[in-house]
Amino acid sequence: MVEKADLFKNGKRLDGRGPMDLRPLKITAGVLERAQGSALVEWGRNKVLAAVYGPHEVLPKHLADPTKAIINARYIMAPFSGQEEHGRSGPNRRSIEISKVAKHVFENAVLVDQFPKTMIDVHMEVLQSDGGTRVAGITAGAVALADAGIPLRDLPVGLSAGLIGEHMVLDLDKYEDNLGDSDMPMVILPRTGEILLSQMDGLLSREDISKAFDMIFQGAQKVRDKQIEALRTSYERMAAQAAQGETQ
Amino acid sequence: MKQLVFPGDKVADEPRRIPGCYIEDGKTYAANVSLQSDDHVVPLKGYYVPKTGDDVIGIVEEERFSGYNLALNSPYGGSLSARDTRDELKLRDAVYVKILAVNEVKEAVLIEPQKLQPGSMIAVDSVKVPRIIGRNGSMLDTLAKFTGSRITVGKNGVVHVEGGNAELAMKAIEKICRESHTSGLTERITQMLEQETRNAPRAGEQNG
Repeated sequence: MVEKADLFKNGKRLDGRGPMDLRPLKITAGVLERAQGSALVEWGRNKVLAAVYGPHEVLPKHLADPTKAIINARYIMAPFSGQEEHGRSGPNRRSIEISKVAKHVFENAVLVDQFPKTMIDVHMEVLQSDGGTRVAGITAGAVALADAGIPLRDLPVGLSAGLIGEHMVLDLDKYEDNLGDSDMPMVILPRTGEILLSQMDGLLSREDISKAFDMIFQGAQKVRDKQIEALRTSYERMAAQAAQGETQ
Repeated sequence: MKQLVFPGDKVADEPRRIPGCYIEDGKTYAANVSLQSDDHVVPLKGYYVPKTGDDVIGIVEEERFSGYNLALNSPYGGSLSARDTRDELKLRDAVYVKILAVNEVKEAVLIEPQKLQPGSMIAVDSVKVPRIIGRNGSMLDTLAKFTGSRITVGKNGVVHVEGGNAELAMKAIEKICRESHTSGLTERITQMLEQETRNAPRAGEQNG
């Protein structure tokens, strides 16, 4: 059984990371054939699959906005994704909340005014969870949107920071999230530094918050690099397949 | 030199209206994953949005008292007045039409319909259309020469193939779309068509 005292010892965290280290992150774009865009994010023990459909006709029709596209974001955890309370299927209070905040993130990143009166679906399915799934989901959704060819102002990047005792750490896992003092997931647009989502659980002082901001902005660049790498690899894979077809 | 740009990457220091890009603070940024070469930025994927003056292929989706609603391989449809149509159209008919006007919610008003004869059809991403047509129509000429098909390409990415070796034409079009962003595409397509038609006589010769 993990205790709070085990979370941070001798400058190292439970899994051996330093305060600024991210968990191993792998993003693959274009994993689903039928979706217009898709991405699989494997972030530590998290596995999140995102798929994008649209822009398409808005259903139900009364939701249509004649000035812009609306985003239908759906974050949901698979019944087998984790332990404890997540072990049931279907939306719940938590997933409805996260779907709502994710919707606002994507509405502010997608150039929605280019597609009036349409709807863009962003599905984020958490297949395996280990803390920080909302930021992993939004990071996956961003890559899926870019993969689908939906115009974006920038790739939104999600990352969380939190306090364990007096230590501020980046990218919390499940134990740090549950046993730590507080955690703050954030989504930013790295180019402009805009904050699209900022939530907090627990208490943080002004100094802690400004430290968390600094750490997240620094760490977000690494996540963005992975997003770019995923999109680049997906393109190179297509190009390689084309070249292979030539030699056959 | 071609390079990939990603959403948020700066493509020009001055405001420029380029497809797949947006302007902010007097600078131009990429909005899509695109290939940039000198002055050109070509998105790898995109969506067709009706534009005045475009010639497109639509599918009759709905028949109204006063005309027809057409699907245009786009989030937006178009309407064709019965007054402008000489032939009576049925559901699922393919029609080559011109876009007369586009309203504020991007729905198209269509004119000059030409009903297309039954044939094979494929809907592709509209950003691939310039590659299917080729420079001065060179790719279309190549396709027509080897397959003997009559190929009609709508700006919205709908391609209609009639007669000849339609199966081969469709196969080639799919290949063009798959590999549209790679170099040496024309040669590869010619090579493929040559290979496929080597054993069988050309469709054109067959007819002649």
